Amino acid sequence: MDINLMIDITPLLVKAAWVTLDISARGLFFGFFIASALVVLRTSRHLPLRWLARGYISVVRGTPYFVQLLLVFYGGPAIGLRMDPFTCGVVVGAFNIGAYMSEAIRGAIESVDSGQNEASRSLGFGRFATLQHIVLPQAAGLMIRSIGVLAIILIKNSSLVSIISVVELTYQAQRLIGSTYKPLEVFTLSALMYIVIIYAVMGLVELLYRRATRYTFL
Amino acid sequence: MEFDFSPVITYFPTLARGIGATLLIAVVVALLSVLGGQLVAVISIFTRKAVSWPLRFFIWLFMTTPLLLQLYFLYFGIGEWILIPAVAVGVLGLGFHYMAYNADIFIATIKSVSHGQYEASRSLGFGHLATLFYIILPQAFYRAVPQLGNNMIIMVKDTSVLSAIGIAELVYRSQYAISVTFRPFEFYITIAAIYYLINVLMESGQYWFERRAANRR
Amino acid sequence: MTAATDTPMVELKGVKKRFGALEVLKGIDLKVDRGKIISIIGPSGSGKSTLLRSINNLEEIDEGRILLDGVQVNRPDLKGLAFERHINHIRQNMGMVFQHFNLFPHLSTLENVTLAPRKLKGMDAGSARELGMELLERVGLADKASVYPSALSGGQKQRVAIARALAMRPKVMLFDEATSALDPELVEEVNQVMKRLAEEHMTMLIVTHEMAFARDVSDWAMFMDGGVVVEENTPAHLFTHPDHERTRHFLRKHLGNQPQTQPHG
Repeated sequence: MDINLMIDITPLLVKAAWVTLDISARGLFFGFFIASALVVLRTSRHLPLRWLARGYISVVRGTPYFVQLLLVFYGGPAIGLRMDPFTCGVVVGAFNIGAYMSEAIRGAIESVDSGQNEASRSLGFGRFATLQHIVLPQAAGLMIRSIGVLAIILIKNSSLVSIISVVELTYQAQRLIGSTYKPLEVFTLSALMYIVIIYAVMGLVELLYRRATRYTFL
Repeated sequence: MEFDFSPVITYFPTLARGIGATLLIAVVVALLSVLGGQLVAVISIFTRKAVSWPLRFFIWLFMTTPLLLQLYFLYFGIGEWILIPAVAVGVLGLGFHYMAYNADIFIATIKSVSHGQYEASRSLGFGHLATLFYIILPQAFYRAVPQLGNNMIIMVKDTSVLSAIGIAELVYRSQYAISVTFRPFEFYITIAAIYYLINVLMESGQYWFERRAANRR
Repeated sequence: MTAATDTPMVELKGVKKRFGALEVLKGIDLKVDRGKIISIIGPSGSGKSTLLRSINNLEEIDEGRILLDGVQVNRPDLKGLAFERHINHIRQNMGMVFQHFNLFPHLSTLENVTLAPRKLKGMDAGSARELGMELLERVGLADKASVYPSALSGGQKQRVAIARALAMRPKVMLFDEATSALDPELVEEVNQVMKRLAEEHMTMLIVTHEMAFARDVSDWAMFMDGGVVVEENTPAHLFTHPDHERTRHFLRKHLGNQPQTQPHG
């Protein structure tokens, strides 16, 4: 392995890794709001709204993220949607992960024993107060873990925005392989950066999980 | 804003060839990754560390890095040294990627089959390998079915990424059609619908298969 | 919510409840005067738990009327948010104790007790703490105030659940098989707490499998089977000279292993 080359290209890859992290973090942030909105819609009183949410989730989960990205970036202008590549990556990432996350949030809420809901309601707490004080604190642990899994998927998916020429980690890696003809070195370094990012996320998730489920250890 | 789907109809034979390629790749990758995944799992559980640790390292590496990066490495890396066609790189790349995911599942389900099953089989006079083949692996396989199904459904969607290394599957064919007709919206909407249809069919297939496998877990 | 003292604390008139095609309550009438203790016994599937849950509106009844201190609990005329507000208010006057305790695992013992008074009555932290400690004292668990439910035994959990229900100063306490999920040696400590409540003239409705306890503690006993009240009487009468064959049969099975009724020796 050519160590000198690896040292030379590290700054470029670190910069690109930062873009990967940036695009994923923004996607996750907006995705959380989209997911929350979908969860609310899915429990709406109005049947058409429930159908809309279910249909949206089904279509997003049933089509490739890559095709969604191409559709919005290249097909978007035909319906007046013009975005720069980075924004497009954030938006499509958020709308994509939001669909998955809404299922994760719903699953976590449903995992809380129905007796908890009954006990809270029998004390006189309303639906929302029960969700706020009783159900969400208990669902938080599972929710954090599933969102963590989705965050990692989002990070790996972000490699696909290289196709619409966002200079993130995979784009930079491909370009460097082409210019240096040292695929092993470039791959080793860029893989390492993905691994560092992913393990950082996993560590953070574990920390948040412990905080949210502290009561089970006390 | 006006839509014109007539180019999609004109170029449908092109898309159809893409669908055929996508499905063919998916079937080959499914077979490769399920059978290979089972083999990798068995080897990584039942062999000495010198063999099992490198295997587990590759499983881990394939699961913690993006598919596209792996494809680029194989395509530009391996492709530099040995001359193999892009299709082979794509099928192997996707195959290895999902082999790792499937092996991860099989390792868990093989370990979940109770030791009592092993003892019962040995007490009947079956040897170690016979016990593995007749008793442990079938049970592990049926337990793995739901997650395997999920992986394969995700895998079919991931075949679209192969267009990035020039494999003429559905996305690649539609990109060709778009370059001639300049109708990206119409074509991408159409192929999204095609993927969705494939996905719905696979999910109902999974439902049917899981109900059959559920009796044998 | 004040009414004349001769108004029954709980009253049910022709209450019917269906689960799909199955009618589990076939027109139940019931009156509980204030300070009285009523036990409801019967085989599983008799509808006794459904009856109790209906009073708390955890099950919505299909027909009839349920009144708490003269105020109607079920209100088919109220929809959506209006009913929500109404039932939340009503429930604050009823304490419910569940078979499986349903303590809130993410809150300490004291927080379990004080959550409702703080959030629903706006009680300040200091007074809530005082009230909570007083109630934990009453169920003999003041030393467990800062402990989380996972560290408590079943009997302790149920005593905390009783304290939690009492914290809202309810007019009536509903016990849904409060000791059924407990190991035999833990039943007595919960029974003791319930007996003390009885001595303090709390109005109580008790669904139970503990025949001896029901006989000792209650003013009135009801035997339910197949969604109807088969017979009701004073416990002295119902447990020793039941009028109906079904009651006799049920009691034979359930009193059979109790020392008082074992004839040999």
